[in-house]
Amino acid sequence: MSADVVTLEGVRKAYRLADQAFWALKGVSFSVRRGEMLALMGPSGSGKTTLMNILGLLDSPTEGRYLLAGEDVSGLSEFDRAVVRNETIGFVFQAFHLLPRLTSLENVETPLTYGGYGRRARRARALEMLERVGLADKADSVPATLSGGQRQRVAVARALATNPALLLADEPTGNLDTRTGNEILALFHELNAEGATIVVVTHEAEIAAQTSRTIRVRDGLLEADERHAPAAGARPPDRVGEVRKHEPRA
Amino acid sequence: MNPARSARSVEGTARQQRRRRGSLDALEIVVIAWRSIRSNVLRSALTTLGVVIGVATVVALTAAGSGVNASVTERITSLGSNLLTISGGGGDRSSRVRGAPRDTITLGDAEAIRALDDPRIAGIAPQVQTSLSVKYGTNTSYAQVVGTWADFEKVRNASVAQGSFFTTADDTSARRVAVLGHQVAQDLFGSSERAVGQSILINNLGFDVLGVLPDKGDSGFFNPNSQILVPLETFVRRLHRSSPTGDPTLNSVYVQGANAKDLAALQDDLTTLLANRHGIPDPASYDFEIRNQADQLATLNSVTGTLTLFLGSIAGISLLVGGIGIMNIMLVSVTERTREIGVRKALGAKPRDILAQFLLEATMLSVGGGILGIAAGVGLGRVAGHALSVAPRVMPQSILIAFGFAAAVGIFFGFYPAQRAARLDPVESLRYE
Repeated sequence: MSADVVTLEGVRKAYRLADQAFWALKGVSFSVRRGEMLALMGPSGSGKTTLMNILGLLDSPTEGRYLLAGEDVSGLSEFDRAVVRNETIGFVFQAFHLLPRLTSLENVETPLTYGGYGRRARRARALEMLERVGLADKADSVPATLSGGQRQRVAVARALATNPALLLADEPTGNLDTRTGNEILALFHELNAEGATIVVVTHEAEIAAQTSRTIRVRDGLLEADERHAPAAGARPPDRVGEVRKHEPRA
Repeated sequence: MNPARSARSVEGTARQQRRRRGSLDALEIVVIAWRSIRSNVLRSALTTLGVVIGVATVVALTAAGSGVNASVTERITSLGSNLLTISGGGGDRSSRVRGAPRDTITLGDAEAIRALDDPRIAGIAPQVQTSLSVKYGTNTSYAQVVGTWADFEKVRNASVAQGSFFTTADDTSARRVAVLGHQVAQDLFGSSERAVGQSILINNLGFDVLGVLPDKGDSGFFNPNSQILVPLETFVRRLHRSSPTGDPTLNSVYVQGANAKDLAALQDDLTTLLANRHGIPDPASYDFEIRNQADQLATLNSVTGTLTLFLGSIAGISLLVGGIGIMNIMLVSVTERTREIGVRKALGAKPRDILAQFLLEATMLSVGGGILGIAAGVGLGRVAGHALSVAPRVMPQSILIAFGFAAAVGIFFGFYPAQRAARLDPVESLRYE
C-alpha cells in the first residue's frame, strides 16, 4: 500500500442544470499523504463542497480516478461506497449532525453498528473514543443536554470510531465560538500528531495557517497547493481570562 | 506485473469481502426502528389507531356474524336432524296467488311413505296445524295446535321435559291427549310441572295433558314454545277437518333419514313416489316440494357467510384506510428525518439498512395495531354478541386473516416511504434543513 491515503487524478464532476452540463470540478489532481493535515479552501461556488463530497464518497466523480487508501473507488456502487465510507472515512460536520434521540455513546456506536461490530466490541470501542475526546462522563447524555463544543467532541469520537484512514472535517469550528473552536482544532492537532490523516474544509485563513498544507479551489480547478510550516501557535494557547459561555446551537 | 489487472483483482476480492462485512444484524435494525417509534409515542399511537380500528371491526364483525350463523344453525338442527320437509306448493308458481297455501299433501301421502317401510327412513311426522283457543279454568290462550304422529318426538327432536309423549296407539284410537309447548304450559298453569295430568279445553273439547316440551327458544320463524301437539287422527276427527270428504290434507310431512349420506337418494325416491301418487310426470308442474335440511343449512350458511363477508369487507376497507394513514405518516416521517437519514448514510448506512429501518417501523406499527385490534375486536365481539343475544364465535382464521392483512398493509404502505428514504441522496439530505 502506498503512503498516499488519497490520490485524485483528473477528477471532473458535472451537474445537469436545465439540460446543460455544469462542471463543478474541471479536472482536479492531488494526493494526500498518510499523516498529513491539510486545509481545503475556496470561496462559495468554487467546487470546494463538491470536492469534499467526492473525497467523502458521498458523491462520485463524473470522470477521473479516485484512489482511497490504495483502492480505486471512482466507480463503486452505492452499497460499496457506503461500506468504504463506513470503514475508511470519518466525518465531522459544521452542524455536528449527532442523532438527537441517541446518547453520546450510542451516537459513537452508530458507525460501528453499520459496520457490523458486535454489541460488546461496539460499546468498548465507543467508550474508548469518548475517553479519547475527554467526554467519558457524558456517555449517557443526549446531544440536547451538551454544549456545542461537547457535541463536536462527540462527533469527533464518532468519526474516529471505525479507525478511518481519512478524517474529513467540514467547517468543524463554524458553529463554535473562538475558544471552543480552538479546543476542537487542538484536538485535531493531537490526533494528527498521533498519525491521523485530516482534511479540514474551511474558509478561515487562520485555521488554514495552522496546517502544513493548504489547497485552494476556484472555479472547479486547483488554484494553489501550498506546503508551509504550520504557523506559530499551531496549537493556539487558550486565552486565559476570557470567559465565554457558549450557548449550544443546534 | 500488470498494475491494472492486479488492481481489478484486488477490487474484486474487496467487493466480496464488503458484501460479507456490510451485513447489519437484523436485531440492530429492530432496535433502531423501535426507538424511533418510541420517540414519538402520541404520533405512533394515532398512526396505529386506524389499523387497530380496522382489525377490531374485522374480528368483531366476523365473530358476531359466525355467532349468529352458529346460533341459527343450532336452532334449526335442534328441531330435528337429517330432515326432509315435504310441503304443498312448487310447480307452476305463476298460476297461483303468491304465498297462498296449497294443501296438496295428504294423509294418504304420509301413509304411503310409511308403507314403504324403507330402512333409510328413521321416522315420519306429518303435520297439520291451526290456531285454536285453549282454556284451563279461567285462563284462556291461543295456541298453534299441531296434529302429528308419535314419531314427531324423535323426528323433530321434541322430547318432553315433563310427563310423556303420546303414542301411536293414542293416534290410532284418536285419544284426546296433548303435549304442551313450554310457553303454553306457562300461560295456562304457571309452570310446566303443574300441567301434566291436568285437563284443558282445546276448541272447547277436553284434552288430557300428557307432557310438556322443554323451552326450545324462538327461532324467529315460528315459536315452538307456543304450540300444542295432539295425535293427528284426533286433530282430523275432532278439531279441524280441512276437507269434509276424502283424504285430509296436511301442511307438511317431515321425514327423518337414518343417516345424512342417504338423504339425497331418499329425497329422489320420495319425489318419484309423490309424483306417481299425484299423477304428475312433469317435474316443472309438481304440486309439492321436498326440501332437504342440508340444503336449507347450506342456503342459510351461504346467506350468513355472504353477510359476514360483506361486513368483513367493509371492515377491511377501514383497514385499508388505516394503511394509507401509516403511509401518510411514514412519508411525513421520512421528510422530517431527511437529515437523520443523511447522517446515517454518511456514517455508513447502506440503502438497504435505511429501507429496512423504515419498512420495519411501518410493519411494527401495523402489527402492533393488529395485536391491539385483535384484543379490541374480541371485546367488541362480546358486546355485539350481547346486543344480538348470540354467543360470538371468534374465528381463529379471522384473527389470522386480520393480523396477516394488517402486517401486509404495513409492509405494502411502508414500502414506498421506506424506498424513498433509502434512495435519498446523502449530499442533499445532509444539507436538508
